This record gives sequence, structure tokens and C-alpha cells, in this order.
Amino acid sequence: MTPEEWKGKLSAIKDSFSSLISEHKADYETLYQRFLGRKGELSLLLRDLKDIAAEERRNLGVLGNAAKQELTAAAEKIKSAIDAHNQRCSSAPAIDITLPGVNFPKGSLHPLTQTMDRISGAFLRLGFSLASGPLVEDDWHCFEALNFPECHPARDMQDTFYVNAKDDRGKDKLLRTQTSTVQIRVMEKQNPPLRVFHPGRVFRNEAVDASHAFAFHQVEGLYVDKNVTMADLKWTVDAFMKDLFGSSVRTRFNPSYFPFVEPGAEVDMSCIFCKGQSEHCPVCKGTGWLELLGSGMVHPNVLKACGHDPEVWSGFAFGCGIERFAMLLYGINDMRMFFENDFRILEQVR
Amino acid sequence: MKIVYSWLCEYLENPPAAEELIAKLDRIGLKVEATEKTGPDFTGVIAAKIMAIDSHPNADKLHIVTVERGDGTQKLVCGAQNIATGQVVPLATLGAKLPGGVLKKAKIRGVESEGMLCSCSELGVPGDPSGILMLPSETPLGTDVRTLYPKGELVMEVEILPNQGHVLSHYALARELSIFYGYKLRNAAVIDTGSVGNCTAEVNINAEDLCSRYTAISMKGCLNAKTPEWMAERLSAIGVNPKGNILVDGSNYVMFELGQPLHCFDAACLKGGKINVRRAATGEKFTALDKKEYTLNDENLVIADSDNPVAVAGVMGGLGSAVSEKTDNIVIEAACFDAASVRRTSKKLNLKSDSSYRFERGTDPEMTIRAALRFAKLIKDAQPAASITGVTDKYVNPYRAQPVKVTTAALNRILGTKVSDDTVYNCLKAFQPDLPQGNGEWLFMPPSFRPDLTADCDIAEELARFIGYDSIPSESRMPMIKSEIAPEYAIAAQLRYAFAVLGFNEIYNHGFLSAKEAEVCGVKPEDCLQVINPLSSDLQYLRPSLVAGALRVLAFNMNHAREHAHIFEIGTVYHRDGSEEMRCGGLVFGQPYESNWAGRAEGATFFALKGALQSFLDRKPGFRYEKPKQAPAYYENCVCLEMKMGRESLGYMGQLSAAACRAMEVKESNVYYFELSIPVLASAFKKEFWQEVHKMKPVTAFPNSWRDLSFLIDITYEWSQIEKAFNGIKNLSSVRLIDVFRGKNVPAGQRSLTVRFVFSSMEKTLTDAEVNAGMKEVMDKLSKKFNAKLRE
Repeated sequence: MTPEEWKGKLSAIKDSFSSLISEHKADYETLYQRFLGRKGELSLLLRDLKDIAAEERRNLGVLGNAAKQELTAAAEKIKSAIDAHNQRCSSAPAIDITLPGVNFPKGSLHPLTQTMDRISGAFLRLGFSLASGPLVEDDWHCFEALNFPECHPARDMQDTFYVNAKDDRGKDKLLRTQTSTVQIRVMEKQNPPLRVFHPGRVFRNEAVDASHAFAFHQVEGLYVDKNVTMADLKWTVDAFMKDLFGSSVRTRFNPSYFPFVEPGAEVDMSCIFCKGQSEHCPVCKGTGWLELLGSGMVHPNVLKACGHDPEVWSGFAFGCGIERFAMLLYGINDMRMFFENDFRILEQVR
Repeated sequence: MKIVYSWLCEYLENPPAAEELIAKLDRIGLKVEATEKTGPDFTGVIAAKIMAIDSHPNADKLHIVTVERGDGTQKLVCGAQNIATGQVVPLATLGAKLPGGVLKKAKIRGVESEGMLCSCSELGVPGDPSGILMLPSETPLGTDVRTLYPKGELVMEVEILPNQGHVLSHYALARELSIFYGYKLRNAAVIDTGSVGNCTAEVNINAEDLCSRYTAISMKGCLNAKTPEWMAERLSAIGVNPKGNILVDGSNYVMFELGQPLHCFDAACLKGGKINVRRAATGEKFTALDKKEYTLNDENLVIADSDNPVAVAGVMGGLGSAVSEKTDNIVIEAACFDAASVRRTSKKLNLKSDSSYRFERGTDPEMTIRAALRFAKLIKDAQPAASITGVTDKYVNPYRAQPVKVTTAALNRILGTKVSDDTVYNCLKAFQPDLPQGNGEWLFMPPSFRPDLTADCDIAEELARFIGYDSIPSESRMPMIKSEIAPEYAIAAQLRYAFAVLGFNEIYNHGFLSAKEAEVCGVKPEDCLQVINPLSSDLQYLRPSLVAGALRVLAFNMNHAREHAHIFEIGTVYHRDGSEEMRCGGLVFGQPYESNWAGRAEGATFFALKGALQSFLDRKPGFRYEKPKQAPAYYENCVCLEMKMGRESLGYMGQLSAAACRAMEVKESNVYYFELSIPVLASAFKKEFWQEVHKMKPVTAFPNSWRDLSFLIDITYEWSQIEKAFNGIKNLSSVRLIDVFRGKNVPAGQRSLTVRFVFSSMEKTLTDAEVNAGMKEVMDKLSKKFNAKLRE
């Protein structure tokens, strides 16, 4: 072995020793055995000195011994820290600090509440106020004022539950089929400009299956002011969806029909699950788009029904089903689960 | 609505390819929800001739077949038993797409096979499924076998919205494409009537308000008019079962072609040779084509002969006047009936048809005569002996376009666009070809098939479809404003978070109850708000309280091996008069936390629930518990408190009665429940958060002193009385009950209470003497008021 080789080995030993120490990877016993014991790496290297020419041996010996002292001191320091911990704890009663923590109460909010809260947050940030409205409604607020004429096929869109109480006009009251009723409730009470939303329960007289329920939830936003345009609607819906799903989300508008808006549009959101990258995406079915909202410009007949002049005021409305959002977000594929209240499910959505 | 691609293309010059057409429909709001291809679905199968059949070296039942494909021979393995040399058979070549999958090279029992002879079922064509399909021996070898079968039709399912009465036929969809994309429209061929007189049946309209036009064409010589195959195929493709008689099939065909419902009467069955369009007499009976008898009233429009109704107008024809295979002379009806009237009648009789579907959505009055003549042509094409004997067209209420004043500015104001005058003009002109050029301002006359275009906003939607919704910008100058939350909803949110933090799980119930569940809520079913048309009797009553739902959830989870529950719900309860109220209800039962190695936590008790409620409610002004004068029936007698805020009752809390639990199949009885009114809580709600913030009370800088005192007292004295007695004692800053004990060394009829009295002052540290003076006062009150004795 040349003196240079010997020096190289020494510095390699010092490096591996210090990296073990800095990464807290070894205890005292391991370090001592590997480097400093009778068969330790450093001890063996010192023994190799005997093969090196005498004139070099002396200088190298000085280096070697200095390294031995350095390593020994570092190892001892670790030993004393452990000793100190053991000494401290031997004077206190022994406790197994790895036992599990004691349970604290674990409450949870229903997944629909969490979804609605998130949606409400997006509306509130856009300056929409949360308005209220009843579930037991009359024909006027649920249909007539929303421009569903008495004998129009649009009424077939929503099978209605009627109840045994009469409204002012002697007609049977009903359970509201859409949150749009709150548009009328608000516009009857308040003058524009107004910007409101309402999340809540709606009812349809429909057979129940995995994707249909007779009671479910919707949310609906309404903005009425001077000079509100469809461009405002597009911007607002886009901002709303970006608030919910991130700024990379895109929206797309297509013609559609809801009696209380004209022009009407349905809104698709770019698929957040596959980002339009998968032909086999189970959520968007490879289309890259998710159909999520209905929207449009408030129909002049609706403004008139509430006593506002459509020549002066204009507005937009948009809304969606809450369950659909929640099912997407939580990966739920059966709507009936929402009313089952199985604690094993509820406790997962804390 | 099912639309056949090739059928639709008949009405367009240079129609787009299917994929482009679907995208174009989608863009104008006519969504194609699904497509399917009719007919056999295979490619890569050619006609080949069997030249030789040799046995397979490794299998008795397989053959090695040599076939001539026209461009050479090849060998393959086949297991069928019906093959013989000289037969012409379908050969699936490598890569052929069959209903069962793509054909690949295969080794069958050690012999390579580079093709497959096919049976009917392997090709998905009709015929005997056993054995290889035999093709006509004259079939040229190499022929694509697919060409031997009818061309597959692409059928599109188009989603129809309730306002789209104007797109309910193949022609009408083509017209939409023509309007929005400029395709040239073609008309369906009609018959030339020549000069004929009136229809053989005399037409009288006695209800002009419900029937604006009635076109009748009489024909003779229609016997044995058979439906041509192409028509039967198209009808089958859209899911209509062809009957074989063109008098039936042709009227359907024209309806799906032009959107005009038609009816065909057997002229021999029209008594008196009359067609009277009139209101039915109340109680009049009518037997429809579905062989059911209906009782009519004067709201129903009917077509009658001189005696009886022969059709319910726009809904269904009558059995007595229907055409049959013996019919020779007919009367074709093409009419325009009032949409609302047809809908009312169809609803009332619970009778729906493709006709009523179209009339309800509004039909084009200008289309009647064209549709009738089209039908006549189809009959004549099928039975050359047939001829028109007369035409009557009573147009009592002609279509008059209601002009709409349209300006570019108004449309741009709605859409937020900067669309040019030219673009608006082009859009309007597509609807009204004779529209004169205007300067950003037009008097638009809606065509007869779009009477729904009555206002700016309607035109704006058509313009948006014309330019594409994508071209509307996405921008807003909406000012930022402060948003607010309706008080009830703000309170509900506070309650939700409070209960979740206290360890409660939130539940949602739908709120529909059975009679038994209504009783559990302490209300007689007849005093509940009821659904008139419930889904089932279990879902007939609307909840007057949240308690039945909470117990239902408890029972459900106990059945799933749960031993405890802390649940709450925020929901609406309903009153008999149709009013409603938002409530918060919840229950506790069992150990709140699972038992663990550190010992068991205390179970759910009356006092645990009382404390949980208090922790939220004691911040509300004037909150207190009171003994109730009368509590809901579902509480155990005397284990119930009323929660009050000022004068208002917030609700009740307490132990649920054993009967209520049992009724909901909860076998345990130590269930504690509360329900409170959110509107009452919300009455104290402050709109601005800072109005509700509690002002800080100063705290003393000096140490306080306390004394514990145990005393015996008659159990007739309640803690609320005792606690009140200490009011007004100087420097006494808090009174805390720390133990209640009955039993050993406590005389019967008494209990021992241990109370901690804390004294403090804002000004100084209290001396022993001052504290002792306070304690003396405490002891005086205890002995004087309650005859209590210190415990040794």
C-alpha cells in the first residue's frame, strides 16, 4: 500500500463515520464495533502501517492517532447522551409512551353539508347572499311565476308531491320541486340590484334508485341588476367553478331550456379526474366534460311576475344538484346512501 | 327522439358526414345522447368457394378446408358438419371485425388456421344458427358479404326539451341545420291532386278556438295498399313496429317525417258522411284504438260523425272508424289542434300518443295540407289504383305572425357581445327569408313553426345558437359587495359546527313518515301535513318532529352492531296548516367513546346532554332551563326540561319514553333527546358579527379564596332553589356543586350536597375574616331556608 492509498482510506473511514453520526443512523455500540474495536476499520488501518516504509510511517502514524482520538470522542458523546436519558427516566415512574392516545369525541358533518358549505363558500366569495325560502310552496312560486304555463309540457319535467293544505288561491300546496322558487320569494320582497343564492331540499314524485331520489338538494344563484349580460353569467359561472375545483378548470356553455331563463344554457366543466386525458375515464366517459349546471338569463316574464320592469332590470340565474357534486367528490355511486346515515360511512367524512 | 341519419339527409343538399352532423346538432342545443347502428355489424368477410375438405390430423371432428377466394386459395380449420365442396360460404379473413370480436391467426389442434367460415350467429344476421351460412351459389367470389344485407342505418337518439315542438321530425331537424348552418333544404315529394271537389266527408268545425285548421282528403281504391320495405325498415329503426298496411304505417311515417300527426278514417265507418269537430258532451262514451272505453266531458275536443265521436282530437282514434285490411275508401285528417286543450285531454284521460306528444308542444298550422298530400302520395306509390276523390281544407284561424321589433343593440345588451348588424340580419333571414335589409333594426315576422319567438330574449337565444355559445365572451363588471347569510342558516351553521365539535355525527332524513312514525312524534296522523299523492303509505306524512328519524337512525345502526350514538339533524318540520319550521334535534345513547385502556368514559346521561346543550346555548341572551308545563309525548314523564330564551320556548330535552323507543324498534330506553327551534334562536341573531361579540368582563388581579361545604338537606329541595338562595352574598363569586350523595350515613329523605364557594374581590385580597363572614351567611341561609345541617 502506498502512503497515498493509506491516506485515502483514512479519509474514507472518517467520511462514513461522520455521515452515520449526522444522519443519526447508528448507536454507540455499532459505531465502536465498526470503527474503533479490535477489528474495527480504523484499528485495522493503523495496523497496516507496519507495511509502509519507515520514513513515511511516522507522519502517517500521527494522522492515524489523531483520527482515532477524534472518532472516539464523537462516539463517547453519543453514549453520554443516551446515558443521560436513561438516568433521567430511571428516577421517574415508568410509562409506556407508545400506548395509543385516549379517544376524544369524534363528531362529523354529513357529506351533503360539507359539499353545500363548500359551494356556499364559493357563492359568498362572489358576493352572493344566502337567502331562505320554504319547502312547502304554492303553484305560483314553484311554477306559474317561474314561467311554467299551466298547460305546458315543461310541467312534465318535474313530478310533484301535493299536500293537504290550500294556498291563497284555493289550490293544493306542494313540496317544491326546485330551489328556483327562492328567486321568486326574494324578488317579491326585495328590489334589485340583488345577488342571492339558496341551497336547500327539493322533492320529486319519482321512483327511487341509485341515481334518483324523491328528496334531494339543489343550489341556485340569482343576480339581477342593470345591464347584466350573458357574458357576466359566463364569467361568474367560470369563476364559481374555478373557486370549487381550481383555476385550471374550464367551462363550456351549450344551449338548453329551463322555462325561467331565456337564453338558457347548460354548463359543462372540464373533467377534473382525467383532465380530458383518458378515453376510459369512468366519470366523464372519455368525453373530457362533466355536465354540472343549468343556467341562463332571467326570463322577462319572471321579472314581470315579481313586479320588476324587464326594460330596466336584467339578470342571470344558475344552479345545480348538490348530490351530483357530492357523489363526484366522495366517489359515492348510490344516492340512497345519503339518507341511510350509516355511522361507518358518516365517520369517514370528518 | 330517434332520428335515422340517412332519412334526415334526404332533406338536405350536400349533407354533412354523421360525425360532423352530430357535432353541429350539439352546438345548437340538440344533443345526440346515443347512436346505434342497425343491421348486421361486421367487416372483412368475403364470399369463398369450398374446393376441398380434408380431415384434421389431430382431431376427428375438425376438417381442413381449402377455399377459393377469387384472388387465390387458402386453407383453414373448420368444425362445421354441413359443409361440402362447391358451396359458396362467408369467409372471415384475418382482421375481420365480427360481433364476437376481431379474427386473429390461430393454431387449432396443431394446425394453423388463417380464416374462419361463419354461421349466421357469428355474423349476427337472421337465419338458421346451426352450421355454416350458405350463400347463393352465383355470388361472385371475393364479394364483401356485408353488401348482401341491407345497409346499416345510423340511428341517433336526440334529447328533446319541452320547448322544442319545432324539431319533432326528420324534416324539422334538417330545417334547423339549414337555418343555423346554411344547408339547402329539400322538401318531401307530395301528390298533385289535379282538380277535384271537396272531401267526400263534410267537415264542420264547431270549436274554432280549439281547432284552427282541419284538412281532409278522401281517397278511394286503397284496398291492399302494402307498406313498402324501405318504409318498414325506417319505422323499425326508430322503434315503431310496422303493421304492413300503409294506411297505418304511412300516417306514422309522415308524422315522423314532417312532424304533422295524421289520422286515417275508414270512410265507410263515418256515419252520415260527416266530420264534426266539436266538444264532447259530458258523459259521452268513446272506445279508443287501445280497446278501452273513456268517458268524456265538454273540455275534450272530439272528431265525430253524425252520431258519435270517432276520435279524441289529437290524442287517439276510435276503434269503430279505424282502417283495416278491408278498407277501400279513406279520409285522411291533418289538423291543427290547440296545444293546451290536447294536453288537458291527454292528462285527463291518461292517454298518450305520439300525436298528443306533438300537439302538446305545438304543431305548424301551415303543414297540414302538405302532410296530407305527402301521405296521399305514399299511398298512391304503394297502390297505384288509389286516387284522390276530394280535398277540404278549413283554415278557420290562419296563422298571423306577431311582429317582433329586433335591434342589434338590444341583442348585444342581452348577450354581452359585439355582434354586427350583418350577422343579426343573416340570423333573422335564416328564419324569415323575405326579411328586408334593415339598419340594425328590423320588424321580424316569426315563421309559422316558431310562434314561440315573441321577445328580444327569444331572438337572443337564436342568435346565440347562430354564432355559437362559445363566441359569447366571459367577462364581468359585477361590483364586489358584501354577502350576508339569512339568520336561520347562520344559526344552523353555528349549531352544526358546535355539535360536530361536541362529538355528534350529523344525519339527514328525508322527512316522510308512516302513520306509526307520525305517532312517535306525538302527533295524531290526521293532524300531520299529508302528501296527497305519496309514493307509498310509509311515506305519507310529513314529519312534525325530528324524533322519529333520529330513532330510526339509532335502530339502523344498533342493528349494525353499534352500541352508542351521538347524532343530530338540522331539518324542516311541518305543521298541519302547511307552515314549516327549521329545527335542530339530536340524541345521545350509550358510551360516547369506545372504552379504552385508560378506563371507561362516562355514558350518555340526561346530565351529559344537558351540559352539551348548555355549552352552546348559554351564550344566547336569556337562555335557561325550565320545568315544562307540558312536554311532547315522546319524553319520559318528569325527565324533561324546557329550554327557554326570554319568553320564547326554544324546545325540550330529556329522556325518550320507553314507548317511543319501542315503537321505533330501539330496545334500550336510556336514550336522551333534544329538539330546538332555529327561528327562535335566530330571533336573537345579529346581522353584523361585531354586534354579537360579548364585551370582555374585567377579571380580578387578586387571588381568590374558596371553602367546600358538605351538608344534609331534604330531597324535596331542588338544586335550582338552593343555588338561588346564595344570591347577594358579598364577595361570593361562584357556587359550584361538586358532589351529590345518598346512602350510608345519610338519613332517609335527605341527601348530602358538597358545594364549593369561591370568594373574590376586584379591590384586594380577602382576609380570612371576610371569607368566614361570607360562609356564615351561607350557613345561615342553608339552615333557615332549608333546615340543612352541616355534615360532620
